[in-house]
Amino acid sequence: MASTTDPRADRRLLVAWAAGIFALSALRDLRTLGVAALIALLLFRRGAGRSLLRAARAVLPVTAGLSLASIAFHRLATGTWPPAGPWAALALRAGLIGFATFSVLDRVDLLRALAPYPTPSRLLVVTLAQIHALRLVATESRDGLTSRLPRRPGARVLVRNAGGITAGLFTLAARNARDVGDAMRSRGF
Amino acid sequence: MHVPDGFVSPRISLPALAACAPLWAWAARRHLGHASVESLPVVGTLTALAFVIQTLVIPVPGGTSTHLVGVMLLALLFHPLLAFLCESLVLLVQALFFGAGGVTVLGVNALAMGLLGPLAGWLAWKALRRPSEKVALFAAGWLSTQVSTAAVLGALLLQHRLDPGYLPTPPAVLVTAMGVPSLAVTGVVEGLYTVFALSLVRKARLRGVDD
Repeated sequence: MASTTDPRADRRLLVAWAAGIFALSALRDLRTLGVAALIALLLFRRGAGRSLLRAARAVLPVTAGLSLASIAFHRLATGTWPPAGPWAALALRAGLIGFATFSVLDRVDLLRALAPYPTPSRLLVVTLAQIHALRLVATESRDGLTSRLPRRPGARVLVRNAGGITAGLFTLAARNARDVGDAMRSRGF
Repeated sequence: MHVPDGFVSPRISLPALAACAPLWAWAARRHLGHASVESLPVVGTLTALAFVIQTLVIPVPGGTSTHLVGVMLLALLFHPLLAFLCESLVLLVQALFFGAGGVTVLGVNALAMGLLGPLAGWLAWKALRRPSEKVALFAAGWLSTQVSTAAVLGALLLQHRLDPGYLPTPPAVLVTAMGVPSLAVTGVVEGLYTVFALSLVRKARLRGVDD
């Protein structure tokens, strides 16, 4: 989704989002959380479906797993069903923070917002670029191992292979760090 | 192992951020302050390395899986403070770009996974490396996982104690859900990984490939 065109508006939105998610994390009453969810849906209605889906994917596995285990434990220990309110509030709070985060990040160009702060923005650029480069190598190494073995590799083989991948990635990371440093110096940083 | 957003209230998340702030400032001044053209690419690539290591998934018996952490490795190869800085950045990137963990719980997760765990493992390695380097490395990886898990668990148990209506998960469920996999699987995997990875990284260094 397109971000705003004004970097200052991006920064204001980021500050409001940071304050907002801390405020949301303080809410425990289900009704208040429901009102907050409605406000958030109205504020971020553009692209809401996509953000809701991403938030559900990020939040639901953990909250649902813990909630089901806890409800089963309570049922076994006391023979009664626990009240559903606190579980619903937990899931709604976690989901709402996720929804607000994904909605805001869809609307903000982080690198442009960070432009007045050269060290954090350069660090973010280098980190994201290196994640992309190293991830490709890690995926290729893992796929290579899988293709060489007649059966699916076991945990021990994978842990040993992860050690090998790390050594390769470490070597590549050291080279990349030197190359990035040279590139920065050649551009007058 | 992360504490997700919404699981701890500002009563815990804000003091954790306040505790992290001077440590971040110290680490940034030490590793990014002077000659940042030299150090910034190193911090950026090591952060990326830690991030990618955490995407390596290891299947475990029972049909589930665990992932590596790898911060212990950075603490052993460089310094616990640099490992803390890199892990904090990993957590920030995960929260902002991948929806894992979260920004409100950044302080709690950074203290648990970036500082306390690797520091405990680093101290264990320092104490045990003379008798046996391999045992020391395994102990460092295993202990860092246990201490990180205990710290995350401590934050969740404290939240339950402060307000059971906020986090209704009973302590028995929290301890079982986090403690058992950590003791039985994740710690062992991280310990073995630390032994394998560090010996291979050292061999690569001996061959001079990272000069």
